[in-house]
Amino acid sequence: MREELAPHVHDINRALGNKVSEQEIERELSSYLNVYRVSLDTAKRSIVKKHGGNPATLAIGVSKTIRELGPGEPSVNLLARIVAVYEKEVTPQGQETKTILSGILGDATATVPFTAWEPLPMPLAKGDVIRVQNAYTKEYRGQVQVNFGVRTAVGKEAPDSLPEFKPGPGQPYLGKPTPVRVVDLREGASNVAVTARVLSVERREVEVDGNPKAVFSGVLADETGKTQFSAWKDFDLKAEEVLRIEGAYVKSWRGIPQISFDERATITRLKSDLLPPANVLNASPRMWIEDLAERGGGADVTVRGILIDLREGSGLVYRCPECRRVLRKGACRLHGEVKGEPDLRVKAVLDDGSGAVTAVFDRELTEALLDKTLDACIAAAKEAMSTDIVRDELADVLVAQPIEVRGNVTSDDYGLMMIVESAKMLKVDVQAEAREMLEGLEGSA
Amino acid sequence: MREVAWRLFASEYNDANLEMDGGGDRAPSYIVTPLGAKVNRVFVVGVITDVENVGSDIQPMWRARVSDPTGTFHIYAGQYQPEAAATLSKLKPPIFGAIVGKSRIYSPEAGTVFTSIRPERIKPVDEAVRDYWILEACRSLRKRLDTMAEAQKMDPLTKEGLAKMGVKEAIADGIVQAVNHYGAVDLSRYTAMLAEGLRYLLPEYREPVDPREATPEPVSPAKEEAPREPDETESKVLEIITTLDKDGKGAPWEGILEAALSKSVAKDALEESINSLLDKGLIYEPILGRMKKI
Repeated sequence: MREELAPHVHDINRALGNKVSEQEIERELSSYLNVYRVSLDTAKRSIVKKHGGNPATLAIGVSKTIRELGPGEPSVNLLARIVAVYEKEVTPQGQETKTILSGILGDATATVPFTAWEPLPMPLAKGDVIRVQNAYTKEYRGQVQVNFGVRTAVGKEAPDSLPEFKPGPGQPYLGKPTPVRVVDLREGASNVAVTARVLSVERREVEVDGNPKAVFSGVLADETGKTQFSAWKDFDLKAEEVLRIEGAYVKSWRGIPQISFDERATITRLKSDLLPPANVLNASPRMWIEDLAERGGGADVTVRGILIDLREGSGLVYRCPECRRVLRKGACRLHGEVKGEPDLRVKAVLDDGSGAVTAVFDRELTEALLDKTLDACIAAAKEAMSTDIVRDELADVLVAQPIEVRGNVTSDDYGLMMIVESAKMLKVDVQAEAREMLEGLEGSA
Repeated sequence: MREVAWRLFASEYNDANLEMDGGGDRAPSYIVTPLGAKVNRVFVVGVITDVENVGSDIQPMWRARVSDPTGTFHIYAGQYQPEAAATLSKLKPPIFGAIVGKSRIYSPEAGTVFTSIRPERIKPVDEAVRDYWILEACRSLRKRLDTMAEAQKMDPLTKEGLAKMGVKEAIADGIVQAVNHYGAVDLSRYTAMLAEGLRYLLPEYREPVDPREATPEPVSPAKEEAPREPDETESKVLEIITTLDKDGKGAPWEGILEAALSKSVAKDALEESINSLLDKGLIYEPILGRMKKI
C-alpha cells in the first residue's frame, strides 16, 4: 500500500508547494482511504483543497475502471479496449474544421463514450487495448464521457492485457458491501450497505441518453441521520418500510452526501420495529459543526451556537428584478442599473465552539427575529437616510446571542453554509446546567 | 475554512507560551495552551474593566482589559482594527462585553511571553450573555481536561491513537503539540479552575458582596487570596520600572533587565516578579514590551 501511494503523496506534496510534510500527507491520505473509504481521486483533491492548494495542479491521474468514472474528473488513467471508433468532423467555435476520433471504450466493468480532441500518435481500431493517462471526464446529457486532451498520453497494449469485452448489464461489485450508518456516508464511497427506513419516496422521469428513465427518489433515515436517495431501478419502495440496501454508492450534492443504488444492489425488507418510527427519525439531528465539516455538509440538521458576527450584505438589501442578485450601489453585476426590489436577509457567522458556518436567514426569518416587517425597516431606513440602521439593529438583536437553527448545510471552497429553515433564540438555564456539571465534577473527584 | 472561535478562560489562555506557525504565507498561526487548545480565534465575554488609549492621538492604540472568573484578557485595537477600535473608544467601563478576535503572542525575548487578543468585533452585552459564555467555557474546558487526562495515559502519545478514541484531527494535533511542549501538566489546577467557573454561576456560592459590582481592577476571584503587597524583589523591580518610565509610556523591557541585573536580580527572578506584579495588578503593559506602574 505504502509504495503504491508514494507517487500520489509526492503529487499532493508538489501541488501544495511542499508546505505540508509527506508523513502528514501520507497519514491523511491513508485516513481518507481506509477510514472514510473515499476514492483515491476524491481523497487527493480533498487533501489539496483542505491545505489551501488548487486540486487542478495535481498531475498524476488515478487508475480507474470505467464503472468508477464520475463526471468532471480532471485526470484519470484507464486501461481499456476500443469497442467502437469512428472519425468525426467538428468545427469548434472560432476555429477551423478538424477531424477528431470518437468512439466507445470498454473494460470488464462498463463502457463509456470517448473523444480524442488532439491527433493521436497511432491509428486506433476496434479491439485494440490502450493505456490512457491523464484523460478527463465530462458529463453530457447525464452520461459520463472520457476526453483525451493535450495533456493526455495514449499508448497501445497487448490485446491479452484486458479480457474481451462482453456487453451486458453493470458488473456486480467485488467483495462484501461495507456496513455504514447514515451519518458516516461519505462522497465517493461505493459498495456500502445501509439499514434505514424510507421516510418518503416519489417517482420522477429523467432523461438519460435522450431516453426517458424512471428514478425513485426520496429520504432515508436511521438513528444517526437522514439522507436523500436515488434508486435507478424500480424496487417498489414504499414510505415507512425498513430496508437493508446492500451495494449502494454515495454521490454528493454541494457537499451533502446522498445515497444511490441501481440493479447491482440487493434490497431486503426488514421488520418495521428494527428502527424508531418515522416521526422520530424525521426529527432533525442535532450536530456539531466539526462533524458537519468532516462530512462536508448535512441534510436537515440542527445546530446550536452563537452568531458571532454579521457578514457584509445583511439587513435591508435591494435585489435585481431580473436575477434576484443583491445590488451594489444600485447596480446589478449583470443587468446594470435597475430599480431594485427591497428584501431582508441575514448572513451571519454561526460558531458553536467546534467550528463555524455561514448561516443565511431569509426575509421571513429576519422579520421574525427583528420583530419588524420589511415595510417598517424601509420606513426606518428612509428616516435615517441609510440602510445601516437595519443592519445595526440586527447586530444588536443577534450578535453574541445563543441560537438554535435548523436547515441544510452545504459546503464549497469558502466553507460551510446553512440555509436556515427555522430558528429560535436559545434560553438556557445556565444555573441548572452549571449545577449539574459541578455535581458531576465533585462526584468523580 | 473559517477558524473556530474558542471559548476559553483567561487563566488557561495566559498560561500559553507555545506559538505554532501554520507554515506557508497565508496559513494561520496558533497559540497552543497547556491543555492543547490550538487557538487562532477566540470568543470572549467578560467584564471590560478599563479602556485606555496607549498610543497617540494621531495613531491611537486602544487597550482594554477583560476579566473573567479566572483572570484577565488583554485586548489591543489600533488602526488596522477600525471597527473594534471605534467601539472600544466609546465604551464606558465597567461593562459586559463580547469580543471576537485573533490570538496574539508576543515574546520580547526568549522565555518571556505575553498573550493578547486582536479584536475583530466588540459588542456590549448583558449579564445573561456573559453567564452563558462562562457555561460554554466550562464545557469546553471539561472536554479538554477529559481528553488531556486520556492523552496523559497514552504511551506513546500519537494523533492516530487519539483519533481511535474519536478525537478530531485538529484537536488531536493541539494535544500532541501541548504534551510535547509543556510535558505532563498538572490537571488538578485546571479542574479547580473549572469548578471555580461553575461556582461563579451559582448563587449559593456567591459571596455576600457581589464581586461584579466591585471591579475597579481586574483582580480575579481566583487570585484574591494572593498577597497584594510586593515582596522584596518585586519592590526592587517596581522601583526600577518607576525610575525607567521617563516619558510616561512605560519602562522598556531591555532597560528593566539591565537595571535588574545591576541590582543583582537574576533574569529568572525578574521574570517571575514581573509576572507576579502583573497578576497583582501593580503594573501593566501599556504596549507590548513596556511595563508601567499602576
